[in-house]
Amino acid sequence: MAEATVIKPDLDFVKGVIEGGGESLKKCYQCATCTVVCNVTPDDNPFPRKEMVWAQWGLKEKFAGNPDVWLCHQCNDCTAYCPRDAKPGEVLGAIRKQTIKQYSSPAFMVNFVNSKAFIPVMLLLLAGLLSAAGTFAIPDGEIIFSKFASTHFLQFVFTPALLFGFAVGALGVKKFWADMKKSAGVSSGDLGGSVSATASEILGHSKFKMCGVSKDRFTAHFLVFYSFVALGIATALGVLYIDILHIESPFSLTGTGFPVKIFGAVGAAGLLLGVLLMISNRFKNAEKVGMGSYFDWLLITIIGVIMASGILSWLTRVAGIATVAYSVYFIHLVFVLSLFLYLPYSKLAHMFYRSAAICFLKYSGREKQ
Amino acid sequence: MEKKYGVYLCKGCGIGETINMEKLKPRVSGKGRVPADIIKEHPVLCSPEGLELIKNDIKEGTNTIIIGACSPRVKYEEFDFPGTITERVNLREFVAWTAEPMSSDAQSLADDYMVMGIIKAQKGDVPEPNILQDLSKTILVIGGGMAGLSAALEAANAGYQVVLVEKEAELGGWAAKLYKETPRQYPYDKLEEPRVVARIKEVEAHSGIKVFKSSFIEKTEGQPGLLDITIKSNGNSESMRVGAVVMAAGWKPYDASKLEYLGYGKPNVITSIQMEEMAKKGKITRPSDGREAKKVAFIQCAGSRDPNHLPYCSSFCCGTSLKQAKYVREKDGDSVAMIFYKDIRTPGQTELFYKNMQNDPGVLLTKAEVTGVSDAGNGNLYVEAENTLLGEKIKVEADLVVLAIGVVPATRAPQEYLDGLTEAQKKGDDAKMSYIESTPKPDFILNLTYRQGPEIPSLEGAYGFADSNFICFQYETRRTGIYAAGCVRQPMAMADAADDAAGAALKAIQCVEHVAKGIAVHPRAWDTTFPDPMMIKCTSCKRCTEECPFGAIDEDEKGTPFYRLNRCRRCGTCMGACPERIVSFKDFSVDLVGSMIKSIEVDEDEFRIIVLACENDAYPALDSAAIKRIKLNPKVRIIPVRCLGSTNLVWVTDAFSKGIDGLVLLGCKYGENYQCHFVKGSELANYRFSKVKETLDKLQLESDRCQLMQVAISEYDKLPQMINDFVERVEEIGPNPFKEL
Amino acid sequence: MAEKKKVLVIGGGFSGLTAAVETAEAGSEVIIVEKAPFFGGRVTQLNKYFPKLCPPNCGLEINFRRIKTNGDITFYTLAEVESISGQEGNYDVTIKVNPRFVNDKCVGCNACNEACPVEIPNEFNFGLDKTKAAYITHNQAFPFKYVIDGKHCKGTSCAKCAEACKYDAIHLDMKPETVKVNVGSVVLASGWEPYDVTKLDILGGGKIKNVITNMQMERLAAPNGPTAGKILRPSDGKEVKNIAFVQCAGSRDENHLPYCSYICCMASLKQATYLREQYPDSKARIFYIDIRTPGRYEQFYWKVKDDPGVTLTKGKVAKITEDAATGDVIMVAEDVLAGKKITETFDMVVLATGMVPSTRASKIPGDISYTNEGFVQAASLKKGIYAVGTLKSPVDVAKSVQDATGVAIKSIQSSRRS
Repeated sequence: MAEATVIKPDLDFVKGVIEGGGESLKKCYQCATCTVVCNVTPDDNPFPRKEMVWAQWGLKEKFAGNPDVWLCHQCNDCTAYCPRDAKPGEVLGAIRKQTIKQYSSPAFMVNFVNSKAFIPVMLLLLAGLLSAAGTFAIPDGEIIFSKFASTHFLQFVFTPALLFGFAVGALGVKKFWADMKKSAGVSSGDLGGSVSATASEILGHSKFKMCGVSKDRFTAHFLVFYSFVALGIATALGVLYIDILHIESPFSLTGTGFPVKIFGAVGAAGLLLGVLLMISNRFKNAEKVGMGSYFDWLLITIIGVIMASGILSWLTRVAGIATVAYSVYFIHLVFVLSLFLYLPYSKLAHMFYRSAAICFLKYSGREKQ
Repeated sequence: MEKKYGVYLCKGCGIGETINMEKLKPRVSGKGRVPADIIKEHPVLCSPEGLELIKNDIKEGTNTIIIGACSPRVKYEEFDFPGTITERVNLREFVAWTAEPMSSDAQSLADDYMVMGIIKAQKGDVPEPNILQDLSKTILVIGGGMAGLSAALEAANAGYQVVLVEKEAELGGWAAKLYKETPRQYPYDKLEEPRVVARIKEVEAHSGIKVFKSSFIEKTEGQPGLLDITIKSNGNSESMRVGAVVMAAGWKPYDASKLEYLGYGKPNVITSIQMEEMAKKGKITRPSDGREAKKVAFIQCAGSRDPNHLPYCSSFCCGTSLKQAKYVREKDGDSVAMIFYKDIRTPGQTELFYKNMQNDPGVLLTKAEVTGVSDAGNGNLYVEAENTLLGEKIKVEADLVVLAIGVVPATRAPQEYLDGLTEAQKKGDDAKMSYIESTPKPDFILNLTYRQGPEIPSLEGAYGFADSNFICFQYETRRTGIYAAGCVRQPMAMADAADDAAGAALKAIQCVEHVAKGIAVHPRAWDTTFPDPMMIKCTSCKRCTEECPFGAIDEDEKGTPFYRLNRCRRCGTCMGACPERIVSFKDFSVDLVGSMIKSIEVDEDEFRIIVLACENDAYPALDSAAIKRIKLNPKVRIIPVRCLGSTNLVWVTDAFSKGIDGLVLLGCKYGENYQCHFVKGSELANYRFSKVKETLDKLQLESDRCQLMQVAISEYDKLPQMINDFVERVEEIGPNPFKEL
Repeated sequence: MAEKKKVLVIGGGFSGLTAAVETAEAGSEVIIVEKAPFFGGRVTQLNKYFPKLCPPNCGLEINFRRIKTNGDITFYTLAEVESISGQEGNYDVTIKVNPRFVNDKCVGCNACNEACPVEIPNEFNFGLDKTKAAYITHNQAFPFKYVIDGKHCKGTSCAKCAEACKYDAIHLDMKPETVKVNVGSVVLASGWEPYDVTKLDILGGGKIKNVITNMQMERLAAPNGPTAGKILRPSDGKEVKNIAFVQCAGSRDENHLPYCSYICCMASLKQATYLREQYPDSKARIFYIDIRTPGRYEQFYWKVKDDPGVTLTKGKVAKITEDAATGDVIMVAEDVLAGKKITETFDMVVLATGMVPSTRASKIPGDISYTNEGFVQAASLKKGIYAVGTLKSPVDVAKSVQDATGVAIKSIQSSRRS
């Protein structure tokens, strides 16, 4: 017979989950309604019921290399039907935050990023850094943002920031992947196939379509996702135009950056719509699933501010209100930078871990047939 | 009473269309030996006009009334004529609704039933209650715990004198040892101060309650209303008379030393009882070193729900451990309380307490089968468990382990002791007997001087609890006037025990009131008849004393049985048991039923089957089948009896010597879940019958002609078929050979 | 001792009957007010009691006999209490007695039922079959007197029943009456209603034909039920060979009933025996969160668990759909101890629906506090008013009897105090 596993309850972990948006955690009495109504869980060792009891007992080691908390798409069907109002969907969100902490170094960043007190500090810090590094005097004449902050300066700052974010994320995924293999006892699999299947699942948003009570999440996430893709393409094209092809900035109001502008505009509109949809969904489903945690709202807010400031700066630029245009643009820059830098510590880190988890599910062959 | 007869035939409800009244009347008059002119008919006897007919005759002096109409189960208000003998003959259900209209079968059925009705009225008499003298209405309450205190207060507040006897030096029992009580009120989130403190004060201040502490009942003799008890206190004995008893002797925690596998015996493994004591003192510490306990593990069902220990659930331990988890958490916010359960059992609204407790981040719960408790060093312990929600096989470190210990009723030890003796005696195992006698005698509770033993007899499958066998009637013990309450009856939470005690107190009051009026207690709570034996013919065979389900018959020094009437529930088991047939009730006797049997017209060409039907279940079932108009073989004659236990074997002889072809004894289900309210009626009837089978066979009277059938009231739809099948079998056997004689 | 006052018992189910007969046999006069046309309440609808598997009508028959033979009990059926005023020892109560349209001359011959042209859903059988507007619920009903359903009866314009009655028992022009009584104490025993199954949308409650409630299961198994005791599924009358029980269907659920309904575990274990006894080749599977069989009920649990035809699975069912082609029921649960999400098909599924106190929908006149779920808060009751059984918390018959017997002594105290 197998050796008994020694269970060491870690109340700090419990408190972490509770404070991180999982305040309903303790209400769970293990009926398993959640696993049944969940449309995305595999049938074998399904979630989120088991995660609930592990979290109640503070068994943080159980979450090391646990892909399941990431397989959760926070549809919140479980939360809607939970007989104890334990909100497993929200609790898993809070657990994910704990996991991000576990895999993203330095871990204290997670606390900073997600603490209400530190957010203004962090933003101000970034604003200060930017101001110090750049020359943010409001120039006269036609409103051209590159006059305000030079393209090269921005590239110099933002590219490493983004790379940093991805690097931290990638390192986290590496550890996570190793842990998943270890805890599932899986040593090999079809990595290539799994990656491509994962990519197609993510691109198709097929899991999101399975959500029950909050079906609109599919649309919202779909919009946000593809808007980011569009914006990414626009930015990449910008870099291509300016730095590689050395042609006119595609961003000018009058220039010929036709495809870039289309991608940019569509991305901006889509992202705005997507974020608005997310917010409205939150309100619409509040009665059934609750309003969500600070963790969730932080990301929504950052993206919201980025979009709002981006569009507003564009509008005021067109309208020729220089002061407003430049200050809003500055805010926009600060928030974009924060998004990049905090990427691996915020909810946005799900792009790394969830992708890895989905991929591992396929890699390990546990996926529901 | 000089009987003046009146016979009334109703023609309503199809009776008139089924039976030719003109043919019936002369037959009834002839065989029933009543004047033809007193037989009257009416189209609707229960109508005001019909009743008027009877009432007018009563005014003229008629006092013995035979009504051939519907079942006595209906129209009971209409056909209620106080001061008369009124015999209802069920022509509607048993003839009109079950037989072919205007057939010769229907006609002879009506003949037989009417004649039997008349005979019953002739042989019976108006009952006069037998009220014994010098009755006491004082209620004795044994046990001063929550149940006992509550019973005493309830009875005293209803105006009865109460004597409360407590074994310990102080009142309060386990309840007084509690630190806090589980929440009793919505929204079930606050622990409450034990109510017992106030209750003790109230009892001690109550002028109607006399309290004996450090005392026990040395002897209880007599019968309800006349129970002479001796109370032994500190070496002194005091005698007094009481009317009825509430037995609230409580419980003991299961012997934890048998739970070594759960670590009992290790210094830091304690029981839930010890936990209460500790919490009450202030701090929750480890016995080994006095350090405050930070990680407390609660093991549920310690002994309970375990075939090796207590095969039942002790009902309140889940609530208790949740409560004690709160002790742990309230006294130290950094501590952890871990509860290992098989199932969390917080039924009803107590679920809300579970929910509230669960919400505490320091209270951790998992389903688990705890397999053992081992040392983890430093006085700490590992709780080892399987099939948990946390993994298949786990161990968790704790610095204190609390065993949620189960309930053993105070009645169990004496019952086991006595049952052991009885069994050894039955088997003639002298070695075992003397061994049992050499073991320390457990604390007896009642010390009855009854012939059938000193305590309430054990109930099969009750594991020593003095429970009622009946779901509908929670206080039916087999000792009249003695009602169990609280954990001696079932494992129950304290709030339930208090309510339960109120119920038992009520039954005790009812008992003394009924005894004072000479009426039986439940279930024949209307019956003023009583067994009236013709002692001169008694042979002291003691069958009645042995078979009485309620131990109502004792024996004097010479071994002659005598009734303790107030213990009697009027089932007639003694009447059935008596080979000399000396026991009679005013309206029910061996002769009366025997005469009814003998009055049945037996024709050489016709089969005749008698059904002796228990009037509690079988008779209503036959009625119900008739209401559904299910045909019953018209060769069958139904005779109701109080209980199959009252079936005297002479009736079998009466029937077969008369030429009856078959006999059905129709009674309740017996066995472990017996349904007979007189405990063993059908079982006894079956046993008695098995004794005469041989004789019947010797007489070349196939014993298959007599059959006992067990039937529940709900099985009325199958019942006619069961009887009809029996008739067919008898027809296959052929006619009773005694017919020609 | 003061003059003995009467005791009023509201409700003629097993709690009310018990409170009434126990009070009367201890020497006080009792008035029972029952809303339905017949006594017995919920237990008359049960096939058997747990754990003895004995028929409820046995105990009812005894209690009816106690009523019949006890001169101290009067009763009103089809009656409701409209107002209660006063204080302990002196409560004035107004009772509205609705017309039965059948008087005491009724002999129970069934002619009205045969003549009645109006078919109505049989509420006694939870709509599993139909009955007539002139009816009696079952053959052992008490009082054994037919009733005409005023809601559905076409009235004097039809009057076929009145014509068929040979005993002048039917009067379709009967009007409600008001009765005023003065009593010393009042016992509230108006019992419970099964939880509205249509609210259990993910369990197919009320939508999927072969998903029935535990109370419907009792009727299906009862010899006096719609199928004469044969367990046949509603959609096509097929014998049920493979059944699932869904525990806590609505109970222990914040979205429905936050409390535990106490009886459902034992009820489903019991109902598993109905099926197993009737069809030896059948299978029953019970899905539960916690099995709650307190006290000696544990033994019954063990007995059923030992039957190889019965499987118990920890895990709540939370998804039920119908196979449209066959009428079979498909349900999903997690087998918690095995850590597997399972999908299985059954002939029929029983939802172990819970208890709702009758006072959730219809409050008792007077100043009484209730919990959010409609239970009477006993501590808030005025002196001399007592609530019994399921009005305070879900309980089984045994506990109701216990409680009702206990309340009898309290009501006697009240009627003798003052």
